[in-house]
Amino acid sequence: MKELIKRLVETYGPAGSEESIREVIMEEVRPYVDELHVDALGNLIALKRGGGKKLMLASHMDEIGVMVTSIDENGFLRFYGVGGISPFSLIGNRCYFANGTVGVFGMERLDAMKDLTMNKMFIDIGVDSREAALEKVKVGDVAAIKREFCDLGKRLVSKAMDDRIACAIQIEALKQVQNPAYDIYAVFTTQEEVGLRGARVAAYGITPDIGIAVDVTRTGDTPKCATMAVCLGKGPTVKVRDSSVLCTPAVRRHMEEVAKANDIPYQLEVLEAGGTDAGAIQLTKSGIPAGVMSIPCRYIHTASEMVDYDDVLNGVRFLVKLMETEYQG
Amino acid sequence: MQTKEFLKQMVEATGVSGSECRVADFISRVYGEVCDDVRRDVLGNVIGFKKGSGEGKRPAIMLAGHMDEIGLMVTQIDDKGFLKFTQVGGVDQRTLVAQEVVVHGREDLVGVIGHKPPHLVPPEDRNKAIPMNELQIDLGLPVERVKELVRVGDVVTVKRSFVELGKDIVSCKAMDDRAAVAVIYECLQELRKLRHTADVYAVATTQEEVGLRGATVSTYGINPDIGIAIDVCHGAMPGVPEQDTAPMGKGPSIAFGANIHSKVFDQLVKLAKEYNIPYTLDPTPAGTGTDLWAMQVVRAGIPTALLSIPCRYMHTSVETVSMTDIKLSGRLLAYFIASVDAAFVEGLLCY
Repeated sequence: MKELIKRLVETYGPAGSEESIREVIMEEVRPYVDELHVDALGNLIALKRGGGKKLMLASHMDEIGVMVTSIDENGFLRFYGVGGISPFSLIGNRCYFANGTVGVFGMERLDAMKDLTMNKMFIDIGVDSREAALEKVKVGDVAAIKREFCDLGKRLVSKAMDDRIACAIQIEALKQVQNPAYDIYAVFTTQEEVGLRGARVAAYGITPDIGIAVDVTRTGDTPKCATMAVCLGKGPTVKVRDSSVLCTPAVRRHMEEVAKANDIPYQLEVLEAGGTDAGAIQLTKSGIPAGVMSIPCRYIHTASEMVDYDDVLNGVRFLVKLMETEYQG
Repeated sequence: MQTKEFLKQMVEATGVSGSECRVADFISRVYGEVCDDVRRDVLGNVIGFKKGSGEGKRPAIMLAGHMDEIGLMVTQIDDKGFLKFTQVGGVDQRTLVAQEVVVHGREDLVGVIGHKPPHLVPPEDRNKAIPMNELQIDLGLPVERVKELVRVGDVVTVKRSFVELGKDIVSCKAMDDRAAVAVIYECLQELRKLRHTADVYAVATTQEEVGLRGATVSTYGINPDIGIAIDVCHGAMPGVPEQDTAPMGKGPSIAFGANIHSKVFDQLVKLAKEYNIPYTLDPTPAGTGTDLWAMQVVRAGIPTALLSIPCRYMHTSVETVSMTDIKLSGRLLAYFIASVDAAFVEGLLCY
C-alpha cells in the first residue's frame, strides 16, 4: 500500500486543479467499482453496488497550494495561498506547476521574522525577465508544494498526506470490501481546502442516506503542543466535532460499535479548528446523517505531514467494516 | 402549561448545539399539546405542524427559534482527573471562572471550574481574564472514576436555576434562544383562538450557535412561503449605549434591512399598531447572525422576517428577559399568521 500512497501524494493537484490526481485515482479504482463518473465540480464518483441504502464516502483529492498573482520585470512571481497555507511553512521550500516548472520561495528583507506575510514573499523560477517567466507560467497558474514521499518505517511523511492518505485508504477499502451493505458512492472530492465545495455538490447529486468523510486530524502528542487527546499510532479516530460539523450522534455511535465489534483501535476526536467534507454533506437538502473517520497527522498543511502506518492499515480495516455494516439510524 | 413554566423547564434542560436531544424531547411533548403533528428531522429540529383552515393550497409559514445553547466540550482528561475543555458556540471565557457546571458523561456529574487563588497569582496577572485553555473542570473524583464516567467529546453546561426577578423579569442560562421557543408556544396558543388559513410550521431549530445549521436543513425540508426567525437582541443594560440595545418590557424588536422582506416587515408593523402591541424597530443593514440569514437563501429564496426579544447579558449564564416581551411577541406573530392569505403570499413576489 505504501507504493499507492507514494504515487498519490507525489501527484500534483491543488484545489481547483485536480485533473492529474483524478486521472491517477481513476486508474487505481476502475477495476474495483461498478461505475465511475465525474461531476461538474470535478468530483470523481465511484459506485460499488451492494444494494440497499446509499452510503457516501468522501476523501478529498485536492491539496493546498499557491496561485500566481503577478509577475515582475525580473521574472519573480508574487502569489497567494490556495487553502490554508502559512507563509512560515514556505520558507526554504519549493513548488511546482502543472507543466513541471519548479520554483523556490524567497522573501524580502524583514526587520523581524514575525513580520512575514505572504505578500512579502515571491517565487523564483530561475529566469531573469518577465518574458522568460511568461514562457513557463502565467498569472492564475497554481503550484503545489514540491516534496517527495519518505518512508520512516513506522511513520510516513510527505506533502499532501492531507488528504491523499484518505484517498489511499478509500481505494484500498474498495479493493478489499467483500459484502458491501450499501450502494457505496466512494467520492474523491475536489476543492475541500477552499470550503468543502466539491462534497457539497456531490452530496446534493447523490442524496445519500448516510455520509462518512475520511480526512486527517491534528494530534496532541508533540512537545508543548495544544491540548488534544489524539496521538499517532493509537488508531483512526471517530470525530465528535470540528469547526464545520457536530457529527450526527447516531452515526458516531454506529462507528464506535463497528470499531468495537471488530477490535479496531480508535480514538475520539475533538478538533478545535479545521473542517471536513462531512460539514457540507450533513447540511445537504433536508439533512444527511454524517460522521468522520480521521487519520491522526502531525504538521498538517506543511510540506512534511506525518502519519502512522498502523493507523493507516487500521483505517482501511475500519472503512471496510463500515462499508459492510448497515447503519440502522 | 403556562408559558413561564414552559420556559423554566426548557432553560433548565440541557441542549448544547449538536446534543439537543433532552430539551428537544421536552419541547416535542409540549408542542404536541398545541400542534396537529410534531416530527423531527435528521438534524434533530423539532417541527410542530398546525394546519390552516380552508381547502386548496394553503400558504406555509415557518417560525424558527433555536433551542440549542452554547456550552463546553471535554477535550482531554489529565492524569489527575481534571478535565480540559473547549467551547461549543461563543462562550465568553471571562465568565467561566468559579462556575458550577454539569458534565454530561455516562451520567450527569457536577463539577466546578476552579483556578489558582489570588494569593498565588503574580500581581501583574491579577487584573487579567484567564484564557479557557488554562482552566479545568474539577469533579472531585479519583482519576480512574473520572475515566469510567467521562469521555472526550462529552458536553458540559453551566449549572443554573431559573429565577424570577420582580414580577416580569426572568433570568437563567439558555434564554438565548429558548425565550424564542416560548414565543412560538405563546403564538400557537393564541392561534387556537384565531382563524388562520396558513399552515404553520413551528420549528425549534438545532445548531444555530455553530452556524445556523438546523435552520438550513429544516427550511429546505419545509420550503415555506414565509420564514420568520425569532431570536434575542441586546436588552438595555448599564454600560451599553442606548442605540445598541432595545428596551426591556416594551415589546418585540422588529428588524428591517436587506435580509428582511419589506412587505412582511410592513405587515408586522401595521398589525402591531392595529392591535396596540408595543414594539421597537431594529435597523439591520447587514447580517443578523440569526437563523434568518440561512433561511433567506434556501432553495429559490424565502421571504423572511426577524422578531427579537431584548435580552441582557447575552451568552452568559444569567441571560435576562421580560415575560411581557415574550407574550407580546407571541401575540403579534399569531395576528400576523391569521392575516396571511394566498393573495398576500403572491404579493411578496411582486416588486
